[in-house]
Amino acid sequence: MSQQFIIKTVRILSVLFLALISLGFAKASSALVELEISPSAIQRIPIAVPDFKYMSPEQTQLAREMSDVLSNDLNISGVFRPLDRKGFLEDPQSMGLEASEIKFQDWSRQGADFLARCSYQVQGNSIKLDGWLFDIAGRKMVGTHKSYAGELRAWRQMVHAFADDIMLMVTGERGVFDTKIAYVQSVGSVKEIFYCDFDGNNPVQVTRDNSIALSPSWSPDQTQIAFVSYKDGSPKVYGVNVHSNSSYLISGFPGMNIAPAWRPGRNELAVALSKDGGQDIYLVSPTGQIIRKFGVGFGASISVSPSWSPDGQKFAYVSNESGNPQIYIFDVTTGQKKRLTFNGNYNVSPSWSPKGDWIAYSGREGGAFNIFIISPNGSDNHALTYGARNESPRWSPDGRSIAYSSNKQGGAAIRIMYSNGTGDWQLTRQSGAQELPDWSPRRNRQ
Amino acid sequence: MKSKQSIFFVLMIFAFIAAISACSQKNVPPPPSFGAQGQEYGAATGGPMDDAKWRELGINSEAEKREFLEKAKAFENEDVYFDYDAYTITEPAKKVLDEKIAFLKRYPRVAVTIEGHCDERGTTEYNIALGERRAHDAQQYILSSNSSNLKLTTVSYGKERPAAVGHDEASWAKNRRAHFVLNY
Repeated sequence: MSQQFIIKTVRILSVLFLALISLGFAKASSALVELEISPSAIQRIPIAVPDFKYMSPEQTQLAREMSDVLSNDLNISGVFRPLDRKGFLEDPQSMGLEASEIKFQDWSRQGADFLARCSYQVQGNSIKLDGWLFDIAGRKMVGTHKSYAGELRAWRQMVHAFADDIMLMVTGERGVFDTKIAYVQSVGSVKEIFYCDFDGNNPVQVTRDNSIALSPSWSPDQTQIAFVSYKDGSPKVYGVNVHSNSSYLISGFPGMNIAPAWRPGRNELAVALSKDGGQDIYLVSPTGQIIRKFGVGFGASISVSPSWSPDGQKFAYVSNESGNPQIYIFDVTTGQKKRLTFNGNYNVSPSWSPKGDWIAYSGREGGAFNIFIISPNGSDNHALTYGARNESPRWSPDGRSIAYSSNKQGGAAIRIMYSNGTGDWQLTRQSGAQELPDWSPRRNRQ
Repeated sequence: MKSKQSIFFVLMIFAFIAAISACSQKNVPPPPSFGAQGQEYGAATGGPMDDAKWRELGINSEAEKREFLEKAKAFENEDVYFDYDAYTITEPAKKVLDEKIAFLKRYPRVAVTIEGHCDERGTTEYNIALGERRAHDAQQYILSSNSSNLKLTTVSYGKERPAAVGHDEASWAKNRRAHFVLNY
């Protein structure tokens, strides 16, 4: 599953690009500023995504399918609001592709701030996709014309790549359209690790142990998933290469080996062990060598669920040393720990946001569990969900969304919401129950 | 006639479901036993035992074997219960553990796995950690009042293997437990 397509980008304005946006596209740049201030102030940018134009009469059904995938990507991003195609005036197959052919005034009347225009050509088993992004008010193309070529069966990834480029051109940051979400799928008493695309497509089964597999955690390079399995009788931490499907033991000490969390930027993991009698968080290599015992344990207390800060210098974790489970932060450099949550008496499953500005967690309120976010200095604690059993939050790598498990629609499933609690949708549509999501980092692009 | 057919149909469905669930539970750690279900002891670890193995446990006659099997059944069927989000050994729990200690004084050579379990509330990882504490503290209680060299190991299943599947306090109370399994 290495890169199935080549991205050829014509880079004309790469350096001056952001400056151009702020000078020329007043409307877009004001949206940019709001995005940075607060997730609750997001004003989504209206964008038109007509059917793609087919340049040869092969695979013509993809004209609509690819447009649907691009619209869905842009909608999931939380940055854009794709317009209803029914209002479009032009036939997408006769409509032009270049700036000189675009009827900017018509698109402006239809309420679009941007227009994403694409064409494709199929030849046997290969496909070439071309994409243009137009700024309607500015009456010009944004950034550069993008071109993608590869195997026909990889068309979905090419559309995701163009969506990524649109995000990069408009917000200055790539989207998450090449990311995966790992989760636990249970049928009866058997639990296996799966992962799917960020939009719920292509579910892939990773483990086939017929045991209990839990707590998937992606490696920073998106090639490995660490997880917990009972296949050997007691809970041990394993790793699996998602390309070769070969798995290996990471931590198999006596007692409990759980809660793996790959350290950002390093080939090390934090795990929760009880090998010395008491529970503590340890730093281990992928082959299970103990690098450091952090010493967060306190007598007979519980220490579990580490989640790293993006710089890998701190981690949030759960301790019950106060008498009930609360979120704490441990500073790896100073060796100091500090209690973070004080509201409620059951706060677990911390997840540190990729920009470092929030820690999401699951808190009990009466009989319900809800997702909260709190700043790492303890301020701005607030709920994102209400009622039901909402647990195990995990951030998207751009920090715009949170995956979590929920039973709000009946059986347990993975759901996604924006980090302000809006735009909630169900990711997994399998039978059985899904829980414990973990959102992969982005893949590196050349 | 019609009702006979429908009974037959229902039975077929049950048989089908039973067959499916039997297939899907291969290699899964055996569910904890509870209640008087007449389990065959020893069967899980490799069929009938030879005499040498019985003698190793200090059992030298058929009468002693019968006595052991009876006590083993009671030993495995009685769980130690805990309060919500707690692993303190309560007074009623001490009574149960004292019976375990008495059994282990009589049969110190038998290997015991202490399983820690939790109710369904709360997250997976915290519950495994909580179940680990329950199993650990039950183990420590036994070790602290028994000087012999016992073969005790612990494993936490968190909330993954409930004894009762209801979503109410009665079921939750049954699930917050340390469960004892003999290996002989």
